[in-house]
Amino acid sequence: MRQYLNQIKAIVLKDLVTELKTKELFSSMFIFALLVIVIFIFSVDLSIVKANEVGPGILWVAFLFAGTMGLNRSFMLEKENGCLEGLILTPADRTAIYFGKLISNLIFLLVMELFILPLFMIFFNIDLISFLGPLLVVIFMGTLGFCAIGTLLSSLSSNLKTREIMLPILLYPLIVPVVIAVVRMTGQILGGESLGSMMNWVGLTLAFDIIFIGVSILTIDHILEE
Amino acid sequence: MKEVETEETPQENYFLLLLTAAVIFASIAAIYLYVPTEKTEGPIQRIMYFHVPCAWLSFFAFFVVFISSILFLWKKDREWDIYAHASAEIGVIFCSLVLITGPIWARPIWGAWWVWDARLTSTLILWLIYVSYLMLRSQTEAGSMRARYAAVLGIVGFLDIPLIHFSVLWWRSFHPLPKVITSEGFGKGLDTAMMMTLLISVAAFTLLYFVLMGQRVRQEKLRDEIDRIKKEKLYSH
Repeated sequence: MRQYLNQIKAIVLKDLVTELKTKELFSSMFIFALLVIVIFIFSVDLSIVKANEVGPGILWVAFLFAGTMGLNRSFMLEKENGCLEGLILTPADRTAIYFGKLISNLIFLLVMELFILPLFMIFFNIDLISFLGPLLVVIFMGTLGFCAIGTLLSSLSSNLKTREIMLPILLYPLIVPVVIAVVRMTGQILGGESLGSMMNWVGLTLAFDIIFIGVSILTIDHILEE
Repeated sequence: MKEVETEETPQENYFLLLLTAAVIFASIAAIYLYVPTEKTEGPIQRIMYFHVPCAWLSFFAFFVVFISSILFLWKKDREWDIYAHASAEIGVIFCSLVLITGPIWARPIWGAWWVWDARLTSTLILWLIYVSYLMLRSQTEAGSMRARYAAVLGIVGFLDIPLIHFSVLWWRSFHPLPKVITSEGFGKGLDTAMMMTLLISVAAFTLLYFVLMGQRVRQEKLRDEIDRIKKEKLYSH
């Protein structure tokens, strides 16, 4: 067990060190998310619609679009110079590779989201501070579900000819339930409701997280073969 | 059931084809001659006898994709990959038909081609998932990798269906409640004649599925055979 956790830790640390050296991924994800928010602000008239009605949707679209860039990069980086083959050749379990990648993706996305939140607060003039607790819980649950299935599909799409295009095409229809759930929950939280009043959405998101982490554990062996 | 399908001799296949044709004619006769016209909706309601069986068939086809995908990852037998592929194609075709007949029915009844109702939305998402499944298959070259990747997506996609169902259900819904299997029991929500017609149509479409499946599987096996022969000839020179 300890060895297994060390393997995961090694993969996560490797990804973090690479990222800290280049800062390529973080800066592009952050700027991209910011651009998505700005573009969407032009597409809605904030003097007519209420900011906390359209805000949650725009915030999550920005998170997910920028997150897709991160996921795309996650396994593509390994494809360069045959790093993935190296990883597979190590005695590490395939699921350890999956968890390592899942955790590093999760960290990148959460950091990006933490940087976006204050800007979102300023641009939409919404007070997030008083709802920060439940909001962070929702963001964590939603991002975990997105990364769980995203990491699995990213390991798959990195071997395709048209990888950058195929990942969103495969990913977006599958994450519909979690998108609906997190947008609804974020909207209700900004409307002043507590997490306890939306247990069905919380349950749905948790079910999504658990089901897709479970499926990934069962199927990652078949993707990271040869 | 499927295994019997493909191992069949041509004669039995011929029998299935004839049976399917007969049931399809019977269902068309029932729809246009036998079943009474619905009181409030008028003749347009007859589209239900195509719409509902198409929906049933596409769902059934996706279920076969799911089972075949699991069996493929377990047994690593090309046979199951062929089943998954053929079934996904059939499912997408009939899912498209659901999405086409639905708006034709909705326009006069609801006054709009499309509303973001729960079941419409989930059918659309389902269609997108399996179109992306077929795209994944077309993007990769034939072989073990394609089969494995497709199988993973076939499993993930089907497991997503209940989650999609609940998420869009809580999101919004104004579809007519299920008429065939209701809380009062099987077939209580519908008139007997309508029920009979619907059941005949469902039977016709289900048989059609097996006919199409048999054809598609045979075609794919012939393709494998041709590839094998090509390779043999290529290396023998």
